[in-house]
Amino acid sequence: MSVHLTRRRFGATCAVLTTALLLVACSGTAKSDPDGDPGGDSGAAYQISATTPEPTGDIDAFTWSLYAEPLSLAYPYAFDYPPNTVLSNVCESLLRWNADLSISPGLASAVDNPDPRTWVYTIRDGVTFHSGGTLTADDVVASLNLHLDPQVGSYWASVYRNVKSIEKTGDMEVTVHLTKPDSMFNQYMAVSPGTIESAAFLEQAGADYGNPSTGVDCTGPFEFDSWTSGQSITLKKYDDYWDADLAAKAGEVTFVFQSDPNTRVNAWQDGEVDGGWFVPSNAYERLSTSGPGSLYYGLNTTVVSQIVANTDGPLGDPDVRKALLMATDRAGIVKAGEAGVAEISNSLVSKSTWGGLSADEVEDIYAELPTYDYDVDKAKQLAADAGVDGQQIVIATSPISVAADVIAQATAQAGRDIGLDVTIKTVSPDQYTALFSSPAARKGIDMFMTAWYTSLADPMEMYGVLQTGQFSNYGSWSDPDFDAQTDQAIADPIGEPARTTAMANAQAIAAEQLPWLPLYAPPTTLWLGDRITGVAPSIYYMYYPWAATIGAKG
Amino acid sequence: MTWFVARKLVGMVLTMLVTSFLVFASLYVAPGDPLDFLLQGRSPTPEMVAAVSEQYGLDDPFLVQYWHWLVGVLHLDFGRSLQFREDVAHLIGARVPTTLGLILMSGTMICVFGLAVGIAGALTAGRVYDRALLVLSTVLAAIPSFVAAIILISVFSVRLGWFPTSGAGEGLADRIYHLFLPAVALSLTFIALVSRVTRSSMLDELRREHVEVALSRGMTTRSVIRRHVLRNALGPILTITGLLVAGLLVASAVVETAFSLNGMGSLLVQSVDKQDFAIVQAIVLLVVFAFVIVNTVVDIAYPFIDPRVTAGPGAR
Repeated sequence: MSVHLTRRRFGATCAVLTTALLLVACSGTAKSDPDGDPGGDSGAAYQISATTPEPTGDIDAFTWSLYAEPLSLAYPYAFDYPPNTVLSNVCESLLRWNADLSISPGLASAVDNPDPRTWVYTIRDGVTFHSGGTLTADDVVASLNLHLDPQVGSYWASVYRNVKSIEKTGDMEVTVHLTKPDSMFNQYMAVSPGTIESAAFLEQAGADYGNPSTGVDCTGPFEFDSWTSGQSITLKKYDDYWDADLAAKAGEVTFVFQSDPNTRVNAWQDGEVDGGWFVPSNAYERLSTSGPGSLYYGLNTTVVSQIVANTDGPLGDPDVRKALLMATDRAGIVKAGEAGVAEISNSLVSKSTWGGLSADEVEDIYAELPTYDYDVDKAKQLAADAGVDGQQIVIATSPISVAADVIAQATAQAGRDIGLDVTIKTVSPDQYTALFSSPAARKGIDMFMTAWYTSLADPMEMYGVLQTGQFSNYGSWSDPDFDAQTDQAIADPIGEPARTTAMANAQAIAAEQLPWLPLYAPPTTLWLGDRITGVAPSIYYMYYPWAATIGAKG
Repeated sequence: MTWFVARKLVGMVLTMLVTSFLVFASLYVAPGDPLDFLLQGRSPTPEMVAAVSEQYGLDDPFLVQYWHWLVGVLHLDFGRSLQFREDVAHLIGARVPTTLGLILMSGTMICVFGLAVGIAGALTAGRVYDRALLVLSTVLAAIPSFVAAIILISVFSVRLGWFPTSGAGEGLADRIYHLFLPAVALSLTFIALVSRVTRSSMLDELRREHVEVALSRGMTTRSVIRRHVLRNALGPILTITGLLVAGLLVASAVVETAFSLNGMGSLLVQSVDKQDFAIVQAIVLLVVFAFVIVNTVVDIAYPFIDPRVTAGPGAR
């Protein structure tokens, strides 16, 4: 069985020599702090915000920076920050992913689950596409079926792995039959795999669908206007949008592609660009003190971790992995790499990923996890007992962010402290991206860093990845007990207490065995210049029409 | 003259053919598989792998792939970008104005300032002014364009707010305004280079007998310098300027990124890394084409500047 999950390597597309050299020059190593306060306290305090002030009115237009140009706006290929950030405002899904990461009705006004293998979607009346057509069951069937077409090669195909058929069962009703119960499928209908496009437009655009010259034709509060290759994408307000509560407050949004982090920060400070997600950590202080505008931290589902890519080497021994994590100065990494703005994590999923549970319930689950406090002596002993004595490991890194370099250096230091012979291999950002997809690229690499986010508030989106034989289980880690718990969580319906227990058990096993070494959970970062306001600082921007709520600041 | 142009044309086509083959071969043997990119490694099914490979002809043998591409180019079809799933002509077309504008502006700056500084240096050779220019040009030549870009942005855009920090602008005036700082960042090193070549080439001429004779016959220094020194010194200057075009195209990739410009240089870098063969080929061909054209223009201009060199068989 193959569960496929969202993985992400942030900023992987920004291949810039400029950036690379600057980052190396600016970032110290995590070891620069000799006291290295033990895990738990990450240094500087920062405040998480749920919202930003309400706008005082509409605005003609605003600009937004993207750290890379989307390669396509076609929803089957929308599986990374840049395309999703834009597309979430233009195309909508059957369900909606809200700012608090809950799910509510979207283009489907009702969902029925008569048996665990059947999902029936009632299509909303009165929804129109940007080009004028009316949404019907035919559009839904055509849109969802696109993921099943091998010619398309959808990046989300694995979400559909248990789908037997997608059928029109009424003018405004679509029924999906599954081959076996899958608690993830319906949740995914709230994000990219549930995107609905006009069947007529899909047919007409063919292989050009979603590319710079063709664009898309969906139902969202903004419509695709133009895409200047290499420069910008412009969306304009769609006046006949069905949901009056979410009608766009801006007449036009222009996304500009700025791969160099310094260019982005300069453009914000200059007021040339009004806002952006992904604030470079080395600019936190500069932006929060000198404006003009506001820096916000918010809800995120990302955990930064070190992936153990090779369990045939010395890292195949769980005790060596434990020793390595224990010898890693995670507080120092957060301080040097993220300017103190992140929380040390002992789990591979952030606390906000546990949708449907209260904060106390989540805390109880996390309290069970081992903490791996920074303790070099204890780590050395553990490693020595496991027989570590100068074995070689290779850590891959790339100049994709300030943190990437800091993490590589700190982990290498930890490795040396426990007696390993560590080499750091620096590759280009695109080669780094290839590590996530190509076994050939991973050859000879023992470890590499990831900032992995989940596209759902469901821990299974992460833990499904670590099942035996999964594509993204890069180190081929395998634990029968873990597999059994995760299988149950996939089969059990959402909200079932047994499912939560199974996920908590799976999490505990992963934290004990450390197939990947969890480092820290960073917040979503948002910059708003002094002209605009009204969006929530939350990872919801990947799939929710967030730009629609942005208006003028009083 | 016809023979000269014909020879140049044949040479150009051969150069382009050989270059395209070399580029194709090097991308082909480079590590990595375009399929990894096309499917993003998301546990694709065997059917998906087969279908996508077939669409992009990835299973064809090396020479067959090259042949398909070549036949397409002869029909003016430059193929399809793997990364953008878009026709290459459209992607490059959108970026030509930016790159062209950038190169034209910096080319002008290089010629004007390079010549001016070089001439001024040669005429004041050995004096304080000349020494200061020498030091300055040494410093400028040592500043890589990305460092220049960062300094220029922080001073003129962020501190002073005189110029935009990024973007290529719309309309002619706005475009020139947007491209001014990038063009400066790109030119500095080359200005230093051209000024040095100009200076030494002028100095060589100044020491020549005919200059002394002209001066001793009572001609004004001004006219001697213009008609005898500068004109004779233009040869090497022109040659180096022609060569600079290729250098500018390469260096522009870095400047484009620093200023977020949608030029061809940054697209080339991105495409090489992603093994987007069709784009790499098209840009390389364009660069070779531009390079050959510029150097042909230089060759044709030579006889007019220096009648000792005549175009024709046996000429340069």
